[in-house]
Amino acid sequence: MWGAYSYGIGAVMVAAVIAFFALSRERDDLQKLLLLDLVEMVGLGVIALLGTDLAEALILPGLTVGIAELLALSQIYCTKEGILDRPVTGLNIEVIALADAPLILSLFLVVYGLILSGFTGGAVAGLGLVFLFLSRTFREDLNLLEMASGISWALWIFAFFVFMFLPQYWFVALMGAAVGILLKVTVKMSLVGTMWGEQHG
Amino acid sequence: MADLIGGIPLFVLEFGDELVYFTPYTITLFLLALTFTLLVLISRPERQIDIAFGGDAYRAKEITVAEMRFRRFMAIACGLATMGAMVTGDIFNFTLFTAMVGITNVGIVAAVKSRHVQDAAYQYGLVALAATVPLFAGAAVYAAVTGSLSMIELMKGTVPAVPLIAKGMLVLGVIGEGMAPFYAAKAEMFRAPGAPYVIMCSLSSLLIFLRVVEIVMLG
Repeated sequence: MWGAYSYGIGAVMVAAVIAFFALSRERDDLQKLLLLDLVEMVGLGVIALLGTDLAEALILPGLTVGIAELLALSQIYCTKEGILDRPVTGLNIEVIALADAPLILSLFLVVYGLILSGFTGGAVAGLGLVFLFLSRTFREDLNLLEMASGISWALWIFAFFVFMFLPQYWFVALMGAAVGILLKVTVKMSLVGTMWGEQHG
Repeated sequence: MADLIGGIPLFVLEFGDELVYFTPYTITLFLLALTFTLLVLISRPERQIDIAFGGDAYRAKEITVAEMRFRRFMAIACGLATMGAMVTGDIFNFTLFTAMVGITNVGIVAAVKSRHVQDAAYQYGLVALAATVPLFAGAAVYAAVTGSLSMIELMKGTVPAVPLIAKGMLVLGVIGEGMAPFYAAKAEMFRAPGAPYVIMCSLSSLLIFLRVVEIVMLG
């Protein structure tokens, strides 16, 4: 196992060297940001090489931090280049806006997310909904979605209390937590999608 | 456990995965971070004065309340992240808190509506983003070699020795996130008005650097 890990870490290091070399040659600010996002993937690769449950638990916060920094930096870029007033009109592609393809793709992602369940499933299903909301200009009732998000969060917390105080019912708690986090992440991501559409649509 | 740089832990709290401990060393750093966060919370920001060279003329820079409110929020978030990094007993939690210190440091200065300051903040942000790679990779190698991320386990000395490269990557990551050596070379960022908030950047980077020294001495 140690041998495979060494080969893996060697490959990742080569990738890191290539990425940082490209970064040192790049002069454009926006391109630098995009390259850094690629470099970030290398860091996640090192964590993924652990190949255990722990690695999965570490990748999620690592990814979240990376995305947060990326969002912050792109916001600064927009402000410093003075391009905040340019409207972004979602995925303004004629084919996507009119055809049935987004619906089918979203349906596929949502079903696949339901099968995966848990955090990953929620992210996949949420991505499907984000895609749908981005490609269509929906006006949804946000209050209802927020209520669903709140209830599923409460379910998640409740499941944790079952884990702590009634460990013999762990299976119920596991199912409750899995469904709760699935709904929570799905709803949160679709909220991001609708709010984006409202702001820029 | 005799030659620990931080001293023997006075208090250890293990709550599931979360591990918090205080040594005489970390409790000092924690109290410093706490004091400064409280100061940021209650103090009123300064106005920056520009003095015209060769004359008596001077003018105070105009700062909007919204901008100051955002910067105070970022400074307090930075203080909280620093406090977390001081007391945590888990290597990965430490890297996450450090990354958060990096983001909030950039946020403190990026709210300033000046082209120069924003340029500098953007470059620092790029450095901080690049530094997450060695930071997380270092923590991952720690986990791969010792099979644990707990600093208490590292203290006991029963786990295999951590390779130098993992320690080096951890320190490199902290340097990048805290931006400690870089603001000596590019001080434009500190021309931003608002005294207590900007100082939070340098204080937090100093504190996380002091903490990482303790961490690399453990294993």
